[in-house]
Amino acid sequence: MKRIGIVALCLLLMTGFSSMAMAKTLKIGTLSPLTGPYAQDGTDILQGVKTAVAVVEKAGGIPGFDKIEVIPGDSACDGGKATMAANKLINSGVNGVVGAYCSSATIPSSVPLNEANIIQITPASTHTDVTARGFKQIFRMCPRDDVQAWSTVKFLEDGLKVKTLALIDDRQTYTVGLTENITKFAKENNKIKIVALEHITPGDKDFTAVLTKLKKVNPDAIYMGVYQPEGSLMVRQAKALGIKAKLITEDAVYHPKFIEVGGKAAEGTFLTFAKAPDTPERKNFEKTYMKMWNAKNVGSYGYYAYDAAMVFMEAVKKAGTTDTAKVADTIRNNTWNGVSGKIQFDEKGDRKLAHVIWIVKGGKFVPYWDPMTEKYF
Amino acid sequence: MGNTSFIIQQLINALFLGSIYALIALGYTMVYGIIELINFAHGELFTAGAFIGIIVLSALQKFGFVETHFVLTLFLVFGTAMAYVGVLGVAIEHVAYKPLRNASRLAAILSALGMSIFLSNGMMLSQGVSDRAYPAIFGLKGLTIIGARVTYGQVFIIVLSLVLMVALNMFVKWTKLGKAMRATAQNLNMARMLGIDINRTIRVTFVIGPALGAAAGVMVGMYYGSVRFDMGFIYMIKAFAAAILGGIGSIPGAVLGGMIIGGVEVLWSAFLPSEWKDVTTFIVLILVLYLKPSGILGEHVSETRV
Repeated sequence: MKRIGIVALCLLLMTGFSSMAMAKTLKIGTLSPLTGPYAQDGTDILQGVKTAVAVVEKAGGIPGFDKIEVIPGDSACDGGKATMAANKLINSGVNGVVGAYCSSATIPSSVPLNEANIIQITPASTHTDVTARGFKQIFRMCPRDDVQAWSTVKFLEDGLKVKTLALIDDRQTYTVGLTENITKFAKENNKIKIVALEHITPGDKDFTAVLTKLKKVNPDAIYMGVYQPEGSLMVRQAKALGIKAKLITEDAVYHPKFIEVGGKAAEGTFLTFAKAPDTPERKNFEKTYMKMWNAKNVGSYGYYAYDAAMVFMEAVKKAGTTDTAKVADTIRNNTWNGVSGKIQFDEKGDRKLAHVIWIVKGGKFVPYWDPMTEKYF
Repeated sequence: MGNTSFIIQQLINALFLGSIYALIALGYTMVYGIIELINFAHGELFTAGAFIGIIVLSALQKFGFVETHFVLTLFLVFGTAMAYVGVLGVAIEHVAYKPLRNASRLAAILSALGMSIFLSNGMMLSQGVSDRAYPAIFGLKGLTIIGARVTYGQVFIIVLSLVLMVALNMFVKWTKLGKAMRATAQNLNMARMLGIDINRTIRVTFVIGPALGAAAGVMVGMYYGSVRFDMGFIYMIKAFAAAILGGIGSIPGAVLGGMIIGGVEVLWSAFLPSEWKDVTTFIVLILVLYLKPSGILGEHVSETRV
């Protein structure tokens, strides 16, 4: 009896091992800041990807794979840390990567990922260089910096009709890309005069010295090229100093936290962000996400991260392989329906998507002006 | 905005930032004065104060207490935060520093760094990774002095920090415990031989220093409107620089150092390229240390103490 038991155990172990060896896992790595000042957006991205995987697995998974695994990496909005995290993902054998968040992390981390020939889809990095280096396996879910800068300048010229503009950035890759492009477009069109360019330190809390300086210059509008934590503090301090200039900012500030922390001072701030159609898919995703993570709302990049993971998994399914070149071609040559709207990529890997101008009104982001049609919503 | 009002506005900005740096720097300088240890966990104690403040304030706001008893609310928020962090300070001293009092200086510094990482991560796990919004109780109302604007919140914070600094100075100068603290700072062993309860003196130092840091934390949270687990770091660096600049171990030195660091930071950004602000702050620190290694008001550090 005992002997039979041992034989049975051996058999069990063998089948166990063989099934493990046969089991194929699709591995999706993520790169996003899970620590540091931008951990909120980083967590939104990771949760977005995990939601996508949960939805796909619930719907029966991907043929040929028994399991889909998410391997998180912490890019910490830092080039060095992001590259280390990317190498770690490569070593754990990921088939694709969603990330990173900060352009200053995405660009360095894309180098080893490109060498290892792994698909990378960034949900949030808008700097032009992300896709401008001829990498064949990199894609971007959000619109580019120069598109964003163009929309901003167009709105300032034709929507708000301002004559003078002051710029603030925090000297990081992403924000400098924006202020440079805005300066370029403003100079080309010659309708707006840039009267000041100030820089702040990321992580600082007090911007009153710089804001007082701008109050003296007295521009019609102030552009805040910063991330959300600094953005919230900046609008509060600007209002406390009695600055009357119109405040306009960008997609990194577009997060429910901006309004939560900024409070009344956030009211009337303009932001650039893409507008997604209110589809049932989007509503469903929001419901699933909020239930899964016990959250009050979906962070702005949660949508893009979900779409990035979805497009990757759908492409693997459609291509029937994880071969990078084939998956990349499938992503590029198809149109996808995402929760952030219709998804189509150009040759470089940039998504065909434009920004609209939003305004904070009654504690909510409300669409305000469309730079394409020059019409108010 | 005219030139005069511009300068006055920048001076107000500097005074505001300087008083917060000074308040935090006091915690460094007091602990260093007594046991010659750089308390790297001080930045985290400052953050802990801000978190206790937000917890108490949110609870009071839920019951509508803030509108009816505004002064009492402020008293409760600051009182709870300072008391809690004071107790936390003593606990840290007991766990992390007391056992190493006779070990090498390096061991105690490493223990302080470890405590800082422990507290920072503890707060990250318990309070979350993202910004938390502080209930806005001061609003944006304020007064205008010759074209410069000060909010009532800023006035309150500047006045409270000045009151705390004066009170501390009076305590150290005129009370028996203060006298014991000064004696311990001058020579720990001699003070012990003369019958001063060293342990009690050190404990008192570890209540007052962190409590002042906690008060600064609540002020920062209330004024800027948000707190995050890692916000202590940048303040730690600036306040540490302030304490060294003024002469570490010297209480008036810490206040002076805080005001100078705040002043240089604001006035540099006001007139010159703002991206060089932090560079300048630390150049000033290096220059002062080069010319007077003990800091502006620091006493001559004798061989035996080092």
